[in-house]
Amino acid sequence: MSTGSSKADVLQGTLDLMVLRTLESMGPQHGFGLARRIQQISGGILDLNQGTLYPALLRLEQRGWIASRWGASDKNRRARFYELTPAGRKQITQETDDWARTVALMERFLRVAE
Amino acid sequence: MGTIWKRFTALFSKRRLETELDEEVAIHLEMLTEQMRQQGMGVRAAREAARREFGGIDPMKEAYRDHRGIPRIEILAKDVRYAIRGLRRSPAFTIAAVLSLALGIGANTAIFSFLDTLMLRTLPVERPEQLLSLYRTGGWGSGYASYPQYLEFRRHAELFNGVLARSGAYKVRFDAGHNNQADFVEREFVSGNYFDVLGVKPALGRLFTDADNRTPQGHPIAILSYDFWRSRFGLDPGVLGKVLMVDEQPLTVVGVAAAGFHGVEVESRTDVWASAMMFRGAIMEPGMHWVWILARRRPEISKSRIQAAASIIMRQHLASVYGDKPDSAFRRWAMEQRMEVRDGGLGISMLREEFGKPLTVLMAAVGLVLLIACANVANLLLARGAARRREIALRLSLGATRRRIVSQWLIDSLLLALLGSILGLLFAVWGERYMLLFLPPRLGDSFSVAPSAAVLCFTACISIVSAVVFGLAPALRATALDPAICLKGGASQTAGVRFSLRKALVIAQVAFSVVLVVMAGLLAHSLAGLRSINPGFTHQNVMTFALDYPRAWKDADKDRFRDGMLARVASLPGIASFSCGALAPYQGGIWSAGIRVPGSARTAREGVEVAMQGVGPGYFTTLGSRPLRGREFDESDMRATRKMALVNEAFVSEFFPGLTDPVGRALSFDDSKPEGGEPTYIVGLVRDILHKGLKTPAEPTVYVPFHQGQVGFDPTLLVRAQLPPDALLSMIRRELHRLDPEVALIEPRTIRQRVDDSIFVDRMIATLSGFFGGLALLLAAVGIYGVMACGVAQRTAELGLRIALGADPARIARMVLRDGLLLMAAGIAIGLPLSMAAGRISSTLLYGIRPGDPLAFIVTVAVLLVIGTVSAFVPARRAASIEPVDALRHE
Repeated sequence: MSTGSSKADVLQGTLDLMVLRTLESMGPQHGFGLARRIQQISGGILDLNQGTLYPALLRLEQRGWIASRWGASDKNRRARFYELTPAGRKQITQETDDWARTVALMERFLRVAE
Repeated sequence: MGTIWKRFTALFSKRRLETELDEEVAIHLEMLTEQMRQQGMGVRAAREAARREFGGIDPMKEAYRDHRGIPRIEILAKDVRYAIRGLRRSPAFTIAAVLSLALGIGANTAIFSFLDTLMLRTLPVERPEQLLSLYRTGGWGSGYASYPQYLEFRRHAELFNGVLARSGAYKVRFDAGHNNQADFVEREFVSGNYFDVLGVKPALGRLFTDADNRTPQGHPIAILSYDFWRSRFGLDPGVLGKVLMVDEQPLTVVGVAAAGFHGVEVESRTDVWASAMMFRGAIMEPGMHWVWILARRRPEISKSRIQAAASIIMRQHLASVYGDKPDSAFRRWAMEQRMEVRDGGLGISMLREEFGKPLTVLMAAVGLVLLIACANVANLLLARGAARRREIALRLSLGATRRRIVSQWLIDSLLLALLGSILGLLFAVWGERYMLLFLPPRLGDSFSVAPSAAVLCFTACISIVSAVVFGLAPALRATALDPAICLKGGASQTAGVRFSLRKALVIAQVAFSVVLVVMAGLLAHSLAGLRSINPGFTHQNVMTFALDYPRAWKDADKDRFRDGMLARVASLPGIASFSCGALAPYQGGIWSAGIRVPGSARTAREGVEVAMQGVGPGYFTTLGSRPLRGREFDESDMRATRKMALVNEAFVSEFFPGLTDPVGRALSFDDSKPEGGEPTYIVGLVRDILHKGLKTPAEPTVYVPFHQGQVGFDPTLLVRAQLPPDALLSMIRRELHRLDPEVALIEPRTIRQRVDDSIFVDRMIATLSGFFGGLALLLAAVGIYGVMACGVAQRTAELGLRIALGADPARIARMVLRDGLLLMAAGIAIGLPLSMAAGRISSTLLYGIRPGDPLAFIVTVAVLLVIGTVSAFVPARRAASIEPVDALRHE
């Protein structure tokens, strides 16, 4: 449980941003829809157990970046829907900037190495 | 912050959140399965594929739960439940531990509560640390000063930001308008700037200003205390403008002081404040000491500088008032007055003078009691740890960390401390009620039995600290073991190490008990010494009381009423004797006079101050103190023109050393000439009566025939009867009510009670330290018994083997007994030097004995040895009666 913690942490940060971005582009979603969409976008590169999503959703909700409510799905089934909050929107902007900076930084190093 | 809150609330809705998660997972799986089926899989294959795609459900839920609540709190709750179950499983252990702690914590809480009220709580005023109390010492009593002295200090604005004066708070008659029955309130006279200097704000209306304190008898207004306003007027704002009869003065209410303020004296609670100018008496008389001066110092000026300045101010003032008095004895007496500058932020208190040091000593004593109780509980926990070693070893080998087990043990300890402190608070309430019984009337009023916030905080702190003190070592001890060896089965290895810790605890218990028992012995011996002092009279059941008359009555009215009252009382059945006197017996030190004694070398050069008492006919017969020579006053002496006096033994040894019979000699109250003026003839010699209390030796005293108005006090009536005091008192009340319901009975006390009051501190600390000493002994006895019994139990096999091999059981018993006594001896050896030190620190509390009083020490050692023998005896007998077969089978 504790052996892969450093790897999980890296993944955690990215997964959070993926969830937030997906919700931003698609609007309110239930867990299954989110998982399917993330897999579609990643084009199969990301090998993600769909269940991993739920602890991440809980964490985001506790931080106030997303909110959830129970509602009916397109096939009129009961499901829990997650949506972005204003704080979540702000978070996306910030994390996007962070990512851009990290990527730019890494690129520089990679180029120098060549 | 929101995160923490959400997590915290999640703790309380666990079940709902859990089912929601289950539902969400189920829905997800369902949708996933459907998707698989649409891709053409069979039902079963689709479901399996969905499961795979979703991943492990349980690890996910575990991760989810970790984020949801606060795991540490959930573990804590689990530990608490576990600890409760454990304590319930061993009720004997729990009761012993909780009771030990409750006694220790209760004793500490009770004493601390007194200490807090008397010595720690600051007045509810602005910047109390700047307040100073100007305490007058020297001639004529202490504390209170004269109004001219107040005015003098008030002028010194370069030292003070304000100086106020206040009288004592005294019970006076009160009438809010309609009912006639005697009702009393505590009234205090204050200078106009009183509230202003203290920084107390009004809760209603306005407070006094200097303009309210200009002309004698010219300011008939009153301020009420908040509590009084609430209890008598139900917080009705209409009280403003109401006229109250206070001490038969009509006073108009102009305001109510802020809630929580009861005046500046710790042991009284003022109900009504009146302007100092309304005081009925010689306000400006320099010899009338009726106000206590408080001052707010300028922040930049230190207390020591103020003290230096105050001494000079006082000396100059005295010189200007008394410097040209012809009578040298009087002048010297007057000039001996000093002004002592003390801290005033805690309020003023005569009780603190007397009771402060004893309370600190008691606080230290109960601290020791708590330590002994902690040692007891630690010992119990160690024994319990020994019994649970297998369980602990098992948990350690299954992967529990030592830290985890130690923290679980500490939770055990905290739980015990919590139970102990709850029970302890109850004990404290009882204890305080009991302690209050020792205080003379009125003094106990300000001590509330309900624990204050400060007291509760104190109790919580000592509980937590003691939980760590008694819990940590056993926890560390219990977990410091090698699971492998322990589980293999040896029950007795490593017992040696643990055992020495238990022995050390018992030795400490004994040592502390020695200190407490020695203290108790010293104080009891000291009290016995006080009790054996001859008070100068034999009848202790004499009832004494004063009468309070309506203001309008003249001295002649009072005389008539008093004579009528005494005649009525005399006619009651069972009355043996009655009289009256001023001051009351055991109320001394207020009235004195300068005299010359013709023929005595003592007064050849200047007059001498002697104590004065006015007594009625039969005063000494009533008290049971026959005159040694001559006679006492009779009815005819009361109105005789020839001046007569009685003197006591101390008077004779002071003025006629070597003379046995002073009857026929004379003294004179005119002390301006060496041979005196008009003579007063001595008609009798009486025993020394200790009017200032048992601890103060008798002063030379002159008794003169009593008449109304002689001193500023109404006389005290004395009645002796063959009746229980309560029955006598209710009879007197009935007669009084029949004669005139407007006259009230004041402070009825038997002489015995008055004597007791004069040594209440000694009685209280002797009784309490005796109780604490007994408690310590009990706990120590339990400790010794526990260790010895446990030791015998652990050595059952060995002892059984020895007996089987032919050892004499009696020798085995002696061996165990000797071990117990060795522990005792070690404790005593450590405790005795500690006791010497403790005795020396508290030597001021002892009367007539030295801190090294051999009796107390010998008794202590004897008592402890007896207790040691008794508590080791039972285990010793058990050791001797071990059946070898049983013991070996046990192994």
